[in-house]
Amino acid sequence: MEWVPKRWKPSKTRSPREVCSLRNESKVGYNLLMSAPPQNRDEMNENSPPEYAVRMENITKRFPGVVANQQVALRVQAGAFHAVIGENGAGKSTLLNILYGRYQPDSGRVFLHGREVTQSLHSPADAIRNGVGMVSQHYALIPALTVLENVLLGAEPTGFGGVLKCRAAITRIHELANQLQIASLDVNQRADSLSVAAQQKVEILKALYRGANTLLLDEPTATLAPQEAESLFTLLRNLVEKGTTVLFVTHKLREVAAHSHAVTVLRAGQNAGDFITSETNEAELLHCMIGARSNSAGQPLIPFGDVTETEGYAGDTWAATRPAVSGSPLLQIEAVTVRNSRRVEVVKSATLELMHGEIVGVAGVDGSGQRDLAEAILGLQTVSIGKIFLEGSEITRDTVAQRYQKGVAYIPEDRHRSGMILDFSVTENYTLGHHRQDNWGGGTLIHPPIMTAHTAAMIQQYDVRISELGALIPARSLSGGNQQKIVVARAMQSAPKLLIACQPTRGLDVEAARFVYRTLEQARREGLGILLFSLDLEEILQLSDRVAVMFNGRIVTVLSTAQATPEEIGAWMTGAKTGGTEA
Amino acid sequence: MKLSLNSQSNLFRAVLSILAGFVIVGVLLKMSGYSPLQCYQALAEGATGIRSGKPINLSDRGFYIGSWQGNFSPYTFAQTLATITPLLFCGLAIALGLRAGLFNIGALGQMTLGAMTAAFVGAIGAHGSLKPVAGSLPHWAHVPLALLAGAVAGGLWGALAGYLKAKRGVHEVLSTIMLNYIALNLANYLAMHNLKDPNPSNMAAQTGLIAKSAWLTPIVAQSSLTVGLLLAVAAAVGVAFLLWRTALGYEIRAVGLGAEAARTAGIPVSQILIKTMAMSGALAGVAGALEVMGIHHRFVQGTAGDYGFDGIAVALLGGSHPFGIVLSASFFGALGNGANFMQIQTDVPKTIAVVVQAIIVLLVGLRFRRTESAKPLVLAEKEGRKDG
Repeated sequence: MEWVPKRWKPSKTRSPREVCSLRNESKVGYNLLMSAPPQNRDEMNENSPPEYAVRMENITKRFPGVVANQQVALRVQAGAFHAVIGENGAGKSTLLNILYGRYQPDSGRVFLHGREVTQSLHSPADAIRNGVGMVSQHYALIPALTVLENVLLGAEPTGFGGVLKCRAAITRIHELANQLQIASLDVNQRADSLSVAAQQKVEILKALYRGANTLLLDEPTATLAPQEAESLFTLLRNLVEKGTTVLFVTHKLREVAAHSHAVTVLRAGQNAGDFITSETNEAELLHCMIGARSNSAGQPLIPFGDVTETEGYAGDTWAATRPAVSGSPLLQIEAVTVRNSRRVEVVKSATLELMHGEIVGVAGVDGSGQRDLAEAILGLQTVSIGKIFLEGSEITRDTVAQRYQKGVAYIPEDRHRSGMILDFSVTENYTLGHHRQDNWGGGTLIHPPIMTAHTAAMIQQYDVRISELGALIPARSLSGGNQQKIVVARAMQSAPKLLIACQPTRGLDVEAARFVYRTLEQARREGLGILLFSLDLEEILQLSDRVAVMFNGRIVTVLSTAQATPEEIGAWMTGAKTGGTEA
Repeated sequence: MKLSLNSQSNLFRAVLSILAGFVIVGVLLKMSGYSPLQCYQALAEGATGIRSGKPINLSDRGFYIGSWQGNFSPYTFAQTLATITPLLFCGLAIALGLRAGLFNIGALGQMTLGAMTAAFVGAIGAHGSLKPVAGSLPHWAHVPLALLAGAVAGGLWGALAGYLKAKRGVHEVLSTIMLNYIALNLANYLAMHNLKDPNPSNMAAQTGLIAKSAWLTPIVAQSSLTVGLLLAVAAAVGVAFLLWRTALGYEIRAVGLGAEAARTAGIPVSQILIKTMAMSGALAGVAGALEVMGIHHRFVQGTAGDYGFDGIAVALLGGSHPFGIVLSASFFGALGNGANFMQIQTDVPKTIAVVVQAIIVLLVGLRFRRTESAKPLVLAEKEGRKDG
C-alpha cells in the first residue's frame, strides 16, 4: 500500500506559532502545530497525510560529558520535505544517526510509519530494512569501485553459488537514475572519478536501490557549490513528489526557507520549535536557533555576576563595559590567502587587525575557513599570499616554535588531537611546547622534578580535579573540563601577547566554561589580545569587542559587537548578506 | 617517569607470554615424543653454562664448549652473552623508532651497511694483505673509528628512510624493506668485487681481513664475547636517558604518541622523524660493526644474520623500554644459544627456539591490540561532540 501525496500542504486551520521561548512549552507547540496522527483512514482529511513517516519521542542520548539530545521529539509527515536545523553541537546529527541505527538512544521511542522500531533499530542494516536510507556528511563510496559496484555493495543480487546477477540490477539502477534525472550517469565509472556532487547523487541512488522510502541527509550542501546545491534540491523535490520522505539537516536557513515543507529547530540538544515553512521566515527561525542569550538553566552562560562582584563590572556584556580599546595594533593580517593540500583556496585574501587588550571574535558557519586562518596565524599552514605582522614585525615565514617564542599562544579546537597527547602524563602535557625553556625545567636536558613542581602549582591555581597520583597520571584519565584547564593553563602561563583561542569552551560544562571565560577576561585586561574563533555566536557576542564574520573563506565583514545583532551576523554568516565589493 | 606506572604490568605480561610460550612448545615436544623437561634442562644448561647432571663432553660431537671450571663452562656462558649483544642493539634500534611511531623494519640493512663500512675502515693498513696484519693505526684509535664508521653508515641508511617518510610520505615499512634489499645486495656486490678477499683460494662473498688494530679481543678465550656487550648496555642506558631526560627524547615520544599535538606545540615533526631514524639506524649499524670487529674480522655475506628481525621481537617483548629490552634481549640470547646446546644433547632441532620466540611475540602482540581497544570510546565521544 503506497500513498502518494499529490502535494503536501499544511492544514489551513494551523497558524504559525513560535514555540522556541521555553523548552517546556515546546511539546505544547507540537500539539498545536501538528495534531496527533489519525488513527484510521476514515478520519483522514483528503489533503492531510495518513501518518508520520518518522516519529521520535523523548529521545535522550548522552556521550561522555555531553548530552547530545535531551527529550527530543521529531515528527515527520510521510511524503514531506522536512528540515532539522540548529547550530553546531545542537544535536542534529546525533538525532539522525539514532534514526539510522548508528547510535542507540539512552531513552525514548522511535516509530517508522506508525510502527515502533525502538527495540529493533540496532544498526544501519536494521534501518535500511525499515526503509530508511542516509547520506552522511562524509560519503561512504569506495573510491576504487565503479558506481555499479558501489551501489550494489552489501545488497548484491546473487544467483546460484553466489554468482553476481548484474543485469537485473543494472536495469533497476537505470530506472532509478531516470527517476532522479541523472540518466547521464555511467555506472561503470570509478567512484573517485566523480565530482563531489555526483558522488552524493550516487549515495542517494544507493539508498533508493536498497528500497529507502525515507531519506536522511546530513548537511547535504556543506561541500557543494551553490549551483550544485540547487540541482540537488531539484532532485530531492522530485523524490518528494514521487512519495519519498526527505529529512535533511542543515544550518543554512536559506535552504530551509526555499525548499522544505516543515522545520524542526534544535538548540543545545533540545527542541526549540517546529514550524511550517510557508508560515515562518528566516528571522524567526534564526532567533529560534540562536535563542535568547541565556542557557537552558535560565542562568547567564557567561558569569557577569561573578565579575560584577569582584571586579566592579556591570552591564550586559563585558564588551559593553570595557573602556574603548586603544593603542598600537598587536596583530595585523594583510590580505592573507591560504591554500590547502589540494591547492584549493580555503582562506581568501583575509585582512584583520587586532589591538592590544582587544578580543576579536571570528564567527562563521563551520568550515568557512576559520580553522585555516587560525592555523595560518600560528604557522601550522603556509600562507600563500599576504603577510602577518606581530607588533609590527613580520612573522609570515617564522616556524611555529618561533611564533610561540614571540608571544603567540594557542588553544586548539580539537583538544584530543591537537591540544593534548592523551597518553602523556599531566606534567608532560602541561610542558608540551615549553619543554625547551629553562624556566619550565626544560632545555636540551629536561628536569622532570622541576616540571612536576610547576605542574603541581598549576593544578592548585587552576583547580584541576585530579587524583592523588597527581601530575604523573596520563591525561586520558581526566575529564574534558580538566583537560581543557590544562590546555588553557599551558597557553596562559607562557605570558603571551596574542592568544588564538579556537572553540575554547567546546564540550565543557557551564562551570568549566565560566572558568575559561574568566581566565580569558583577566588576561585581556592585562593587555592580552585575543582572537576568538567560535561557532557559538552567543559566546562571540558576549566576549568580543568586535566580530569578524567569515563566509566561504573570506572575512566578509567586521562589526562592532555593541551594534551587531545575532540576526545581522547570521545573515553575513550564511551569505544572505554580502558586502558590495565581495564577489 | 613513565617507568613506574606501566612497566610493572608490562613485565607481568611479558613473563606470562614467555611462560605460555614454553608451555605450548612443551606440549608440542611431548606430542613429538621428547621429554620437555629434559629439553628445557638442556636449554638452560646451554644458556647459562652451568651443568646440573653428569659431566658431558660434547667436543667429540663437534661442539666446542671450552674448558670446564667445576660445573661451569665460561665459554658457553660467554657465547650467550655474545648473542645478546647484537639483539640488544637491534632491539634498541627498533624500540627507538617505535617511540616515535616508526616501525623500522630496516635494521637488517642498516646493520649490513654498518658491518661493511666497519670492515672497510677496519681494513685501513691491511687492504690487500693476505694475512692478518697489525694495521697502521693504533688500537685505541682504530676501534672507535671503525665503530663510528659503522654507526654513521647505519645512521645514514636509516635517515634516508626517515627522510622519505617525513618529506615524501613514503611509509617507513615499505621504504626500509626496499632499502634492506639494496643494502644487502650492495654489500654482497662489494664483497664479491671491489672489496673481495684477495686470497686466491677464497670463493665466498667476503672481504679481506681487517687490521688487527681494529679487532676486539674476546673476554673469554675463543668466545665471541667482547667489549661490545658493555657498549650495548651503555647504549640501553643512553637511550633511556635520551627518551626521558632530554628535550629531543621528549619530542620523539610526543611525535610517537600524538604527532598532530606535537606539531601544534611547535615541534618540528619531520626533523624528529629523520633524527629518530638516523639514531635507530646508527644503533643497528654499531651492531653490524661489532659483528665484524669481534667475530668474523671481515665482512662475510650474511653477517647481519636474523638479528635485524629478531630485534623486532626483542623490542616488542621489552615493551619498547630500554631496560625491558635488556631483559628481553638477554632472554632471547639465552634461548638462542641454549638451543644450540639442546640440539646436540637431545636431538631436538634448535629451530624449536624460533617457535618459542614466535609464540611469545604473538602473545605480546595480543596485548598490543588490547591497549588499542581503548580508542573506540574516545572516537565515539568525539563523534558525538562533532555533531552538527
